[in-house]
Amino acid sequence: MNRHDQPNRGRLRLRLLAAAGAAALTLTAGLATPLNPAPQQAQAKGSQQATESKKEGKKVLTVAVAQSVDSLSPFLASRLLSTSIHRLMYEYLTNYDPADNHTVPGLATKWEPSADKLTWTYTIRSNSKWSDGQQATAQDAAWTFNKMMTDQGAATANGSFVTNFRKVTAPSPTQLVIELKKPQATMGALDVPIVPQHIWEKVKDFSKFNNDQSFPIVGNGPFVLTAYKADSYVRLKPNKTFWRGAPKFDELVFKYFKDQDAAVAALRKGEVSFVAGSPALTPAQAASLKGEPNIKVNDAPGRRFYALATNPGAQAKDGKHFGDGAESLLNQKVRQALFMAIDRKTLIDKVFQGHAVEGAGYIPPRFSTYHWKPSASQELAYDPAKAAQLLDAAGYKKNADGKRVEKNGKPIDYRILCHATDPNDKAVGQYVKEWFGKLGIGVTLNCLDNVTDPWLAGKYDLAFDGWSVNPDPDFVLSIHTCGALPATPKDTGATDNFICDKKYDELYDQQLAEYDTAKRADLVKQMESRLYDTGYMNVMAYPNAVEAYRTDQIKSIETMPKAAGNIYGQDGYWSWWSAVPADASGASSDGSSSTGVIIGIVAGVVALVGVGAFFAMRRRATAEDRE
Amino acid sequence: MTTTESDGPMTTEATPQVATVGPRTLAWQRRRHSAVRFWRQYRTHRAGVFGLAALSLFALIALTAPLTVGSDVQSVTGAPGGPMESPSARFPLGTDQFGRNLLGLVVWGARVSLLVGLLAAVLSVAIGALIGITAGHFRGWYATVIMRITDWFLVMPTLVLAIALMTVMSRSIGTIILAIGVTTWPTTARLVRAQTLAVESRPYIERAKALGGGHWHIMSRHVLPNVMPLVLAQTTLIISSAILAEATLAFLGLGDPTVVSWGGLLQDAREAGAVSAGKWWYLVPPGVAIAVVALAFTLCGRAVESVLNPKLGVTR
Repeated sequence: MNRHDQPNRGRLRLRLLAAAGAAALTLTAGLATPLNPAPQQAQAKGSQQATESKKEGKKVLTVAVAQSVDSLSPFLASRLLSTSIHRLMYEYLTNYDPADNHTVPGLATKWEPSADKLTWTYTIRSNSKWSDGQQATAQDAAWTFNKMMTDQGAATANGSFVTNFRKVTAPSPTQLVIELKKPQATMGALDVPIVPQHIWEKVKDFSKFNNDQSFPIVGNGPFVLTAYKADSYVRLKPNKTFWRGAPKFDELVFKYFKDQDAAVAALRKGEVSFVAGSPALTPAQAASLKGEPNIKVNDAPGRRFYALATNPGAQAKDGKHFGDGAESLLNQKVRQALFMAIDRKTLIDKVFQGHAVEGAGYIPPRFSTYHWKPSASQELAYDPAKAAQLLDAAGYKKNADGKRVEKNGKPIDYRILCHATDPNDKAVGQYVKEWFGKLGIGVTLNCLDNVTDPWLAGKYDLAFDGWSVNPDPDFVLSIHTCGALPATPKDTGATDNFICDKKYDELYDQQLAEYDTAKRADLVKQMESRLYDTGYMNVMAYPNAVEAYRTDQIKSIETMPKAAGNIYGQDGYWSWWSAVPADASGASSDGSSSTGVIIGIVAGVVALVGVGAFFAMRRRATAEDRE
Repeated sequence: MTTTESDGPMTTEATPQVATVGPRTLAWQRRRHSAVRFWRQYRTHRAGVFGLAALSLFALIALTAPLTVGSDVQSVTGAPGGPMESPSARFPLGTDQFGRNLLGLVVWGARVSLLVGLLAAVLSVAIGALIGITAGHFRGWYATVIMRITDWFLVMPTLVLAIALMTVMSRSIGTIILAIGVTTWPTTARLVRAQTLAVESRPYIERAKALGGGHWHIMSRHVLPNVMPLVLAQTTLIISSAILAEATLAFLGLGDPTVVSWGGLLQDAREAGAVSAGKWWYLVPPGVAIAVVALAFTLCGRAVESVLNPKLGVTR
């Protein structure tokens, strides 16, 4: 799950403020002397606070993030940051092993199916307590699932997991029984946070409740959320009674930096311990941080794909078509020609500068069981000449001006929906514009801070798209089925891109019912092959997770998978739970804080002397005038 | 006040010598004279001359850009260098994130920045002059309503209004020009209205009215030529703020990302992490170019203003 796109308005405003500030600084570089002391003093103050907290011996792990929280309610959240925080706040029935992604016990210690595989019995651990002291039981889990099955509002984020459930009961506090309608392969990977019934049964409207009313929020994960301010910070305290062992840091803070460069500067100064690679650090930032002492850059294969999605003619479940996607894109040959016009290798070399893997199938190579690559004969490799032939054959010929025309005679001009907040979208967009231009196809880059509205309304031709993939691929596969389409054009469906393909759906149902991993993987690969052939999703790259942290603040931290894995946005709480603070309580950062103080004092003195000199001069001038 | 029909001395001096020539020639002669006089006075403002020289240079660079660097310099697929190369003999200002020649991009970006600056300023001053003259001429409820609207636009933060306009319209150069133009006109409108009121209180306007001059005749034949010097000076001054506004909007990511402009280059640099990576050559050239051009227009505008405005001229 974990959608990366769709930043919200608050984000825009902060970005604008930061950017306007930066612009003002850039544009008035020479004039800004009165402005200069202020930030330095503020910074000195900040580091004083940091020093004070260090004196108390409190070890704080500060993570610089950019993405807004869409909701703190686990029933609504779908963004990467929100779902990562839910991993920290609540236990799931099962978890993924950080070393190799196999399923390991979470709230459930054991789970087994009946002979017909339609009844699953989970044994719930008895050593997990809610942070208000109450015992976490099977009844909480049963209540959570029943709520999602009966309340449409509670099914918003994770409804796809329970559509196939017939009945969920808790015969005893340690036993959870789930009865299925059909076999379901994801029973060991139900990525659903279990919430305390005694708190959540008071909630009236699940589609509106954002779980941000009273703090601390009761949970049973490794951390307890103690404070949250939208687009400012999220604070979490360790859960000392966590059954797997308490986290080592005394506090975990997600602090907002809407500008990636500002976050990098804060990391250099030691203000933050970690810069989240979401969006990934740019190649220039990563390269400059690599040379810094006490900073480690983690450049690992990502769990995300980066694609150019095609509007397949937006439609709803009731059969109504809506939106205004280009007519020519309904033609499979045209979509395949667009595939061939994009040189994915150049994008990896030039835009990602090696911090990504060339795209092929839908699921990234990191999940080797399910990763699929087209054979040489099936591959739609970069070949502009062949793309032109395909377009000619499909009847989209060039007119006198050298532009290809739609069947109605109008020149083709595709609108590409791009995220104004993602530099990669803009960069890749410029390449795509030139490549398509050579084919005679016009491109308008429509970079917006809020792409959600035109996206849901189907008002686009092509769009930059990307999802983080879980070890169990069910969710990212489900968002392309006909069942995920919105009920009516006015509704919001779980669908990513309005794709509805009968053959794909058949394969989806088969893989969901297949318990044998090898057979299921084969079916998933057939789905990826089908998706590739339709030309709806052109997976261009699997971007690396490029992130950085201070080694003088974090001694060790677990990556997932262990060999070359990411830290931020894992499928689990491993990284923050396992982080060990550096012992020598940051001698260098103390140094930097005292330099901050010194700079602040010096700047203040200079300003005072300057003001004094100015007035002295003025007085002398008037005195001379009098004479 | 300085270059108009009502200005006595020149006309009366010239009349005896050229008694035989027609009124048209006479008018042209007078205009030439005043242009020469304007230039003579302008030359005495050293800062103004410097500004004009800088502007001519930039205009020349922008106009000859297709010949010197060519539009290929914008192409990302045909970029000659590696990403963010430092300045060298081959790339005097280094390369950008795509490996494009930054010197070429700054030269090419001058076209968009100057074009947007000029057109936005013209649009802004045109709106301001129209509203100012009509409000000064018609008075009454029309002027009250129009000036309240002007006041409303005056207190609205320009940048916020421009951003709001940019977000609802499609991203293109035209949109930027429109957004800047329709948000910066109120000061011009106020200035022009004040001048219009002053002009209309003069006796010759009354005479023109008595002779049957209609609204259009008064506004176009008598008021407009009198407020023209003010409008001209105002245009020159607004160009520099329009260029800055264009750069700011592009820097905030509200421009068309495929169009190369100075503000857009700064935005690209910031997004690519050039600031924290210390790649100064990506930031400094467009920043300096914006500063120099804005300064040049301001210097010119101030000089024009002090030549044309007698109140300022007396002290010199």
